[in-house]
Formats: sequence, C-alpha cells, structure tokens
Amino acid sequence: MNLEEYRTVFAVTSLALVLVAAFPTLSLVVPFPRGGERFSELWVLGPNHMAEDYPFNVRVGEEYSVFVGVGNHMGSSSYYVLYVKFRNQTQPLPNATASEPSPLPPLYEFQAFVVDGETWEAPLTFEFLEVSRFENSCLVRRVMINDVVFWVDSSSSWDSENNGFYYQLFLELWLYDVTSRSFQYHNRFVGIWLNVTAS
Amino acid sequence: MSNLKFVIIFLVLSAFVASPFVLGARASSQVVAASAVSRAEEVLASAYEAVLEAEGAGANVSGLLARLSEAGDLLAQAHVSHRLGDFDSVARFADLCGEIGEEVKVEAHGLRDQAVLEADQRFRWTMTWSIAGVVAILCLSLLGWRAFKRRYHGRVLGMRPEVGSDES
Repeated sequence: MNLEEYRTVFAVTSLALVLVAAFPTLSLVVPFPRGGERFSELWVLGPNHMAEDYPFNVRVGEEYSVFVGVGNHMGSSSYYVLYVKFRNQTQPLPNATASEPSPLPPLYEFQAFVVDGETWEAPLTFEFLEVSRFENSCLVRRVMINDVVFWVDSSSSWDSENNGFYYQLFLELWLYDVTSRSFQYHNRFVGIWLNVTAS
Repeated sequence: MSNLKFVIIFLVLSAFVASPFVLGARASSQVVAASAVSRAEEVLASAYEAVLEAEGAGANVSGLLARLSEAGDLLAQAHVSHRLGDFDSVARFADLCGEIGEEVKVEAHGLRDQAVLEADQRFRWTMTWSIAGVVAILCLSLLGWRAFKRRYHGRVLGMRPEVGSDES
C-alpha cells in the first residue's frame, strides 16, 4: 500500500470510531422510529385457564366461570374498558367491518390499565337465575355476573338446525384515546355461546 | 272500627303527601350519583394522562398503573351500580375512585418532574462523554497518523538502491 491508501484507512477508521463515540448522544437526540405493529389482544379462557372446557350447556342455578384477558402491544401503557353484553341469536353483534360496537347496552364492565407488552386477566363468573320456557321460545329473565344480578328479559326462539335455545355472552374492548379524551371501540370482541335448553 | 278507618285514611294521605318528597329525594340522589361518576371519570382520565406523561419522560409507572387499576375497578362498580339504580353505592364507589385518581395524579406529576431532571442530567453526562470521546479519538488519530507518516517516510528514505547481479 502507498501513503495515500494508508491515509484513507486511517480516515475511515477514525470516522467509524467518532461515530461510535457520538452514538449515545445521537440516540438521545435523533428519534428512531419504533418498529412493529401496534395492537391489543382480547381473549376468553375456560375455567382451567386453557382454551377448552368453555361452558356451553348451562343450567339455571349453576355458576360457571371463565377468564377474560387483554394484552397490550400499543407502544405505551393503555387504559381499556371491557363491556360484557348478552344477546340472543337475532340481536346484533359488533360490526367488525365498520368498526362499530354492538348497540346492546352493557351489563357488567371491567376497567384495566395495562403496561405496554404486558397482559391483564380477570375472572368472569355467571349464573342464570330465572329462565322461562314455552313451546318454541325461551325467556331469560335474570342473570348474575360476578355476583351482580341483572334483569335481561331476553327471549330466544328454538334453533331447529342446532337443536337448542342459544344465547351469547360477549365482551367488547374499548380503548381510551388521549386526543379525543374519550373511549373508542377498539374493534375487538370475543364471546361464548350458551345453550340454555337443558335449564 | 272508626279508628281503623282513620288510620288507613291517614296512611294513604301521608303516602300521597310524602311521595313527591320521596321521588324528589330519589331524583336528587340520581343527580348526585351521576355527577360523582362524571367527576370520577374525569379524575381517572387526567390521572392516566399524567401517568402517560411520566412514562414518556422515562419514569417507572408500573406501581401507579396498579393503583389506577384499583380506581378503575371502583369506577366500573360505580357504573354497574348506576345501571342498576343503586345510587348510594354509585356515589361511594365514585368518590373512592376519585380519591385514588387524585393521589395518583399528584404522584405521577412528581415522578414526571423527577424523570425529566434525571433525563436532563443523563443527557448532559452522555453528551460530555461523547464530546470527550470524539476529541480524544480525533487527537489520537492525528498523532497516530503523524507518527505513522514519519516512520513510513523514514523507512522509504532509508531504502538504498541495490545492484543486482546477473549471473545467468
């Protein structure tokens, strides 16, 4: 190598070392973009904390339990509300395409503050307290959710395809938006189907 | 018999006269409960925003979020009680929620200020060390380059042409 080539090697090495020395300060000044998609998870697990053994054939006077959970991957701590709703087969679910919640009124609710990258979980117990059945219809009058009694007065017709009176207990996830200072439906919902024929 | 009639008439009249007061008291407690819930919602939201600011400044907010979750449970109970018409419980839960929210908000502001100070100090230290590092690297490179160049020239100038023999 001649002297010019040695000088280039020296200059490049020095520049690299200068960049290494300046990196800690640069990292505090220059905002590096955060990678990855921002989203939230919502789930319901069975009584054994597994995605199995969900309550299905329910009876009046028996208590059933599941676990509901939320995972936060939004890049910062988040404030969630979970609305527990109850519907028969004809009542509307949330509209995932339009990002709209179900118009049904919530019965129970959870509020959760979750650190980014962490999860939150809570038990959800429910019991059918009063159910009336006629020939081809069924009326659920009262249900108890986490020891609170709710009048629902929801009727269901006989489902001849699936042979049963079906209802759904479902949860909607809402997220607090700092900009609008209000909760927005986060376009996540999950539910379990319940057959009250045996009650 | 006439006494019994008198008592019944008295009771009916009492109920009739008292009903506006009872209904009024219920309406009043409903208004108080709704106002308490609204206040608690605002306090909890602003406490959460203060916690977010503290988190953005680099503070560890996991303890504050745990307390906010307690307040959130109380607010959820207040909402449920409100839907069920249990207005006394609504006010109780909402007031408790508001108290925790206010405490968290004050602590979050303190944590945020502390985190901002620490970040400022950290930035100064980092910048000082970076500048010192850059200056040291530049000086050493320059000195190293000069030394290398001197040695290189010495080696090149020290070379003597040799006469090769051609024995073939």
